[in-house]
Amino acid sequence: MSRNQGMDRRQMLKLAGFSAAGLGLTAAGCGSGGGSNGPVTIRHAWWGADDRAKKVQECVALFEKKHPKIKVKTDFQQYPDFWKKFNTQAAGGNPPDVIQNAVTFLRKYEAKNVLLDLNPQAKKGNLELEGFRAGLEKFAEIDGKLLGVPVGSNSMALVIDEKVFEKAGVDHGLGWTWDDWYAGLQKIKSGQGIAGDSGPHGVMYLYDLILRQNGKAFFTEEGMGFGENELLPYWTEALARVKSGVYADQKKVEQIKPASALAKGLSAGEFTWDNFSVRYSAEGKSSYSLAPIPTTDGKKTGQYLGSLMLSGTARTKHPAEVATFISFMTHDPAVARIMGYDRGVPATTAQFEAFQPTDAPSKAIGAYETEIAKAGVLEPITPHPAGADVVEAAFLRIGGDMSLGKASPEDSVKQFFSEAKTALASN
Amino acid sequence: MERSGPGRKTRPAPQPRGHRENLTGYLFMSPWIAGFLFLIAGPMVFSLYLAFTDYNLFDAPKWVGLKNFTDMFADPRWRQSVKVTSWYVVIGTPVKLAAALAVAMLLAQKRWGQSFYRAAFYAPSLIGASVSAAIVWRALFSDDAVVDRGQQLFGIDAGGWIGDPQMIIYALVALTVWQFGAPMVIFLAGLKQVPRELYEAAEVDGAGPWRRFWSITLPMISPVLFFNVLLETIHSFQIFASAYIVSNGSCGPADATLVYTCYLYDQGFANSRMGFASAMAWLLLVAVGLVTAVLFWSQKRWVHYEEGGR
Repeated sequence: MSRNQGMDRRQMLKLAGFSAAGLGLTAAGCGSGGGSNGPVTIRHAWWGADDRAKKVQECVALFEKKHPKIKVKTDFQQYPDFWKKFNTQAAGGNPPDVIQNAVTFLRKYEAKNVLLDLNPQAKKGNLELEGFRAGLEKFAEIDGKLLGVPVGSNSMALVIDEKVFEKAGVDHGLGWTWDDWYAGLQKIKSGQGIAGDSGPHGVMYLYDLILRQNGKAFFTEEGMGFGENELLPYWTEALARVKSGVYADQKKVEQIKPASALAKGLSAGEFTWDNFSVRYSAEGKSSYSLAPIPTTDGKKTGQYLGSLMLSGTARTKHPAEVATFISFMTHDPAVARIMGYDRGVPATTAQFEAFQPTDAPSKAIGAYETEIAKAGVLEPITPHPAGADVVEAAFLRIGGDMSLGKASPEDSVKQFFSEAKTALASN
Repeated sequence: MERSGPGRKTRPAPQPRGHRENLTGYLFMSPWIAGFLFLIAGPMVFSLYLAFTDYNLFDAPKWVGLKNFTDMFADPRWRQSVKVTSWYVVIGTPVKLAAALAVAMLLAQKRWGQSFYRAAFYAPSLIGASVSAAIVWRALFSDDAVVDRGQQLFGIDAGGWIGDPQMIIYALVALTVWQFGAPMVIFLAGLKQVPRELYEAAEVDGAGPWRRFWSITLPMISPVLFFNVLLETIHSFQIFASAYIVSNGSCGPADATLVYTCYLYDQGFANSRMGFASAMAWLLLVAVGLVTAVLFWSQKRWVHYEEGGR
């Protein structure tokens, strides 16, 4: 304030006039350019951990350099926490503009009009839809609306501790059967003294494959694609295998979470998404590779390409910028060089060719996906009804509780179907 | 309150306040009143309404009457959450208070380094509410961690407590007992108020330490004890963060740490059943209210107030 002491009233007024004129000029400048020309900020939320955060941040920096008028604010959580936060934000009418998404959630949020239809943006040229690898371009199309764009593809696989499998002399090749697999587990248990598998009975995506090998599926358009008669023998058998030590000690599996049982040496194998082997290699001491999904008839694996995708949200004020960002993340070769196989094998050919893996786990993933594509075993994904996310969580939890001896397989199966019914009805 | 205090009796009777003065008062209170109305009362009324609806966060709430409540009683996981919480309140609260009182009695005695010990014992409850303490707890009680190795020294090879549905709840009780600082400080204040003469007289009459504890200490500090029991019981009913974090967000294994609020949170935010969660919240409020009422009713039998004050 003391600085103004030397100024008289007239000078002050003059100064005020100047700044008012200045303000008027800037306002005019804004007005003539139209709303979309000013700097725009969009929010991007995703799930994952710190290493993914660094990579995403690097991509965003690159994007902002290429599109100086768009700023991207990012936010991330662990997978379950991510959805809890997103539910709340979306219900409050303030969801992030761009989210990482998965097939389990598509119908749920489509039914609630949360997701942005990207088709109009593609028509306007803000979103490039050419150049996706086979089977991926229509991945998130529901009822004619394009609700997401895949960033990478992944498939279920058996991630194995290569050293243990080798020492035990277990052969694993495309077309091997469940009997072959189980004989291998017993060989590992008796010869190497560790469990052959972490316990696959709570993994919804694996059970889906088993059902599909038998002409069914976990979900149909309407709801559940299987009944108590199918699940009961599967879980009864699983409990026996946990007790006999062929599957890992579930108490120990529980306490090392969120680390994986395989990486911590509690088991020699685990059914999961193929891109997880990158993470396991960082976590564990052994060397990990991928084995194909066992089959019933030696041919049909039931596999399909799953995918992480990017979706816009319907409430966004900047659909064009959202589409531009998604297009950049899915097509720009530089993004692939930064992200690697972190979110699966890149979905577009441009990105697939831009990243040549040099580390063993990434190489194995590339080889695995090429192999299953060549074998012609891939099928289209079955749609997941709204509420599928809650069903998946219930399957994992109740299967886990049962294997800890909390409830009998009969009660567990009943409890699962009762919870699944509630989830599908209320979502 | 102030006017009835000692030494205030000579104060002249207050002048009747003017309308203006009242207005000023309300004006100064308005931020609090607004906050109360919009952040507490409003949401509470809305949540009471939601308790009778089916509300998935996105579609408009559908009135379902008492369905949420009947669903609740039929739900085995809800019953499990009631069981776990009741067990935790009934076991955890007395053990915590006993620990707090025992340490307070040790610290009430004059000895060298007294203030250091007081600070040291109080410290855990300062960091207690934080997430980090729960994370450390998870690490301590995991397989092959400190506690497991300690057990092995005694030839007990049971593995960690975190993955064991039978044991994990004890880890939670241990965590709450460890954070006894707040009731301890209150006990300490209560113990300081007990007149020395009573102990001296009892000693002359030949009363041993136990006798003095039962006949003098406990009755004399019973108002403080009552206060602590009340506060800690209500607090125990609301346990959330420690259960959520020690179990890695699963409230497991096998629902062993599925405390009431954990299930409420899961139903509301993960399963999008906000109506059900609201119904649960209101039932908890009623239950805590009932327990509080019972405690107040029972205090007539065991809490001794000095007549007429001092």
